[in-house]
Amino acid sequence: MKMEDMSLSGLENTKLEALAHDVYSDLVEDACLGLCFEVHRAVKQGYFFLDETDQESMKDFEIVDQPGVDIFGQVYNQWKNKECVCPNCSRSIAASRFAPHLEKCLGMGRNSSRIANRRIASSNNTSKSESDQEDNDDINDNDWSYGSEKKGELMHSNPNSPRRSKSLKHKNGELSSNVNPELYKYNYSSGISYETLGPEELRSILTTQCGVVSEHTKKMCTRSQRCPQHTDEQRRAVRVFLLGPSASALPDSDTMLENDGYDAPDGQLIMSRLQWDGSSDISPSDSASSKASEFFMKPSTLTLTTTGSGGERDKGQERERGDRDRVVSGGSGSSSSQNALALSSRKKRPKLPVPPALSIYDDLN
Amino acid sequence: MSPAGCSHVNGFKVDNWKQNLRVIYQCFVWSGSAETRKRKAKSCICHLCGAHLNRLHSCLHCVFFGCFSKKHIHEHAKSKRHNLAIDLLYGGIYCFVCQDYIYDKDMEQIAKEEQRKAWKLQGSPPPHHQCIGEKYSMWEPTKRELELLRHNPKRRKITANCTIGLRGLINLGNTCFMNCIVQALTHTPLLRDFFLSDRHKCEMQSNSCLVCEMSQLFQEFYSGHRSPHIPFRLLHLVWTHARHLAGYEQQDAHEFLIAALDVLHRHCKGDDNGKKANNPNHCSCIIDQIFTGGLQSDVTCQVCHGVSTTIDPFWDISLDLPGSSTPFWPLSPGSDGSVVNGDSHPSGATTLTDCLRRFTRPEHLGSSAKIKCSGCHSYQESTKQLTMKRLPIVACFHLKRFEHSAKLRRKITTYVSFPLELDMTPFMASSKESRMNGQYLQPVDSLNNDNKYSLFAVVNHQGTLESGHYTTFIRQHKDQWFKCDDAIITKASIKDVLDSEGSVAHIHQLFLFYTL
Repeated sequence: MKMEDMSLSGLENTKLEALAHDVYSDLVEDACLGLCFEVHRAVKQGYFFLDETDQESMKDFEIVDQPGVDIFGQVYNQWKNKECVCPNCSRSIAASRFAPHLEKCLGMGRNSSRIANRRIASSNNTSKSESDQEDNDDINDNDWSYGSEKKGELMHSNPNSPRRSKSLKHKNGELSSNVNPELYKYNYSSGISYETLGPEELRSILTTQCGVVSEHTKKMCTRSQRCPQHTDEQRRAVRVFLLGPSASALPDSDTMLENDGYDAPDGQLIMSRLQWDGSSDISPSDSASSKASEFFMKPSTLTLTTTGSGGERDKGQERERGDRDRVVSGGSGSSSSQNALALSSRKKRPKLPVPPALSIYDDLN
Repeated sequence: MSPAGCSHVNGFKVDNWKQNLRVIYQCFVWSGSAETRKRKAKSCICHLCGAHLNRLHSCLHCVFFGCFSKKHIHEHAKSKRHNLAIDLLYGGIYCFVCQDYIYDKDMEQIAKEEQRKAWKLQGSPPPHHQCIGEKYSMWEPTKRELELLRHNPKRRKITANCTIGLRGLINLGNTCFMNCIVQALTHTPLLRDFFLSDRHKCEMQSNSCLVCEMSQLFQEFYSGHRSPHIPFRLLHLVWTHARHLAGYEQQDAHEFLIAALDVLHRHCKGDDNGKKANNPNHCSCIIDQIFTGGLQSDVTCQVCHGVSTTIDPFWDISLDLPGSSTPFWPLSPGSDGSVVNGDSHPSGATTLTDCLRRFTRPEHLGSSAKIKCSGCHSYQESTKQLTMKRLPIVACFHLKRFEHSAKLRRKITTYVSFPLELDMTPFMASSKESRMNGQYLQPVDSLNNDNKYSLFAVVNHQGTLESGHYTTFIRQHKDQWFKCDDAIITKASIKDVLDSEGSVAHIHQLFLFYTL
């Protein structure tokens, strides 16, 4: 029976149907044969029963559907202590804080360019401490300039994205290594509400911190007394407001100093330095402080400084109290404050390489 | 010699046996082109009875065809002492001494190669889905692997009630926007299949390939680990390669989705810089194959009725919602009580279909937006209409809930109901003609499944614009749904997913992922 070309046109329907049926049954048979071959091969090669699971394994991975646990049968919220290694800086970071860390690490954050620019600008100054300070600014920056920043941000934002309130989310956990975290141990977002604090607490806080009350959060600034975002006038004002007129002077000037080698210059020298307006390489906060310090250079104020600090220093450290005693009994205002100036800070801040004469005014920032 | 082979092949494996075998496979078993198929059909008949079916076999030692069912080939083997024959349908080698089909490693190797060659020849090259091309071969264990498997009978098998494939993701600090998209992607069936079958061949020089990281992510999801995965490397890579996301500040899931797809698409090509020709219409990377569709935009001049058409690629379809400041088109008259896509909804609730209808409606561009008409050679008023030219395999619908207008920033909380199965036929460019005649209801061809999609992932947002949280519902094993809330995965019901009355407080659907 040789194969011939056949024309389908002349055929009747029944014949066509029969042909179609033949073709169909051939195809089905071939398909079944294919399956048989597959099984035959699998058995002969030995992998036919290979994927049968054992009961135990089946149970292991069974889905759990009960309240209070996830599908693995685990209780919620037990994953708090996960850590990971940053691919950029190779440090170990808590997983839940990885994203904000990475943002800064990659220099991608909203403020990263500002921080970088400041760093560049202040590296032109001799003042290293400025730049250290500003490393931490990024965390707190937002709140201070929150109002204006936010509008600018809106302009560029994706018209269809949600925005979370940034001020709520920043913690001080991920500071860069060259800054003492102690200084910023308060979570800025919680801030300090002065209304709930008693006078002693307020005093102690005001001896160590800037304390200026933020207009929109009504909380006190927890940064150092040198905080560049607030002026000395503001700091004075808040102390007057909270502690009464007697505390109008900024305390703690003595402990905020870095200059170890500063000996007491005489008052004249100090006065002459006051007139120095500052050269171009002084950052804005310097000039602000020199203006403010002019005010403080009145001898009476200096005296007040000393005694004021004495009063507020009750809660301070041993060493300072001892020093203060020395200072109080020292006599003249300027010399006592200068003795105080000689104290090294109890806070471990890097040493200030400023000209010694300016140091009195630095601490007033 | 494998245990499945036999010693009787040794008599065959002499001289130029490999070439001879190849010829047999090429001519009589695996026919690639139409020509060879004809030749095979004509020449392969039983030498004894002339039948061309009946499980025809060819003798390996000489030119003889005999049918198996009628034992003609057996007779030949006995009389000529030719012990081997090959089945012309499937290429299996039969040994008459062993009286069984045998599987010899070398011969199988040749068979596989010839088979692949034939597959490549079959069918025409573009469009790619019409030709067999590169078929995926199942994994088979080697002898050593077989041994190991027998010694270690414990197995992890993905069955219907299995947790494998599901895993939580740790929140890295407001990264739920990333987690929700990652969950949707890892449960995209085609993408999952691509990565689990190890199809990615990395050509990137550096080790910052996002596709490799994605592959690793799938390994993590299918590892059987119960603790949630920490996707820090993924975050790092996406931010490194998509700088415009500007870091932690951006918590928009939609932007993340587009950026991630873009980076994956670039890295599929093995290129760090995206400089290689990235014409989305011709890209064959897995991302484009799965996600890219073509959106047709027709601008019709009102004067001469000339139509100017452009087709743009898209990865997702962003739909406006009622309640936004852009006016929402009222539902067409023909839709009352319509059951298109199974939306027999109580009047008032907006459906996904409504949003799609609005998306594809003809829009009259006002007199302030006149387009230069090439037919009239002047500026005329026109209407513009969008339709689907080419549907993607995975359609992602983005409901535009976050509105940032000049004075207003808000989240639109209008409830939108959506179906489990969606037919996109009414929104195709091909259906446009009839729609322009006012017919909104198309006779639904229930046998044609070309445009029928099934829902497999829903991304929800709860909360306000300022502070909110993303979660995802994903579908696994056909009918099981799970809720993914960062590190916590729980079982969910279809009812939870569809939220048919919009009754769950403060939860609003944001992305709907459908697959063909």
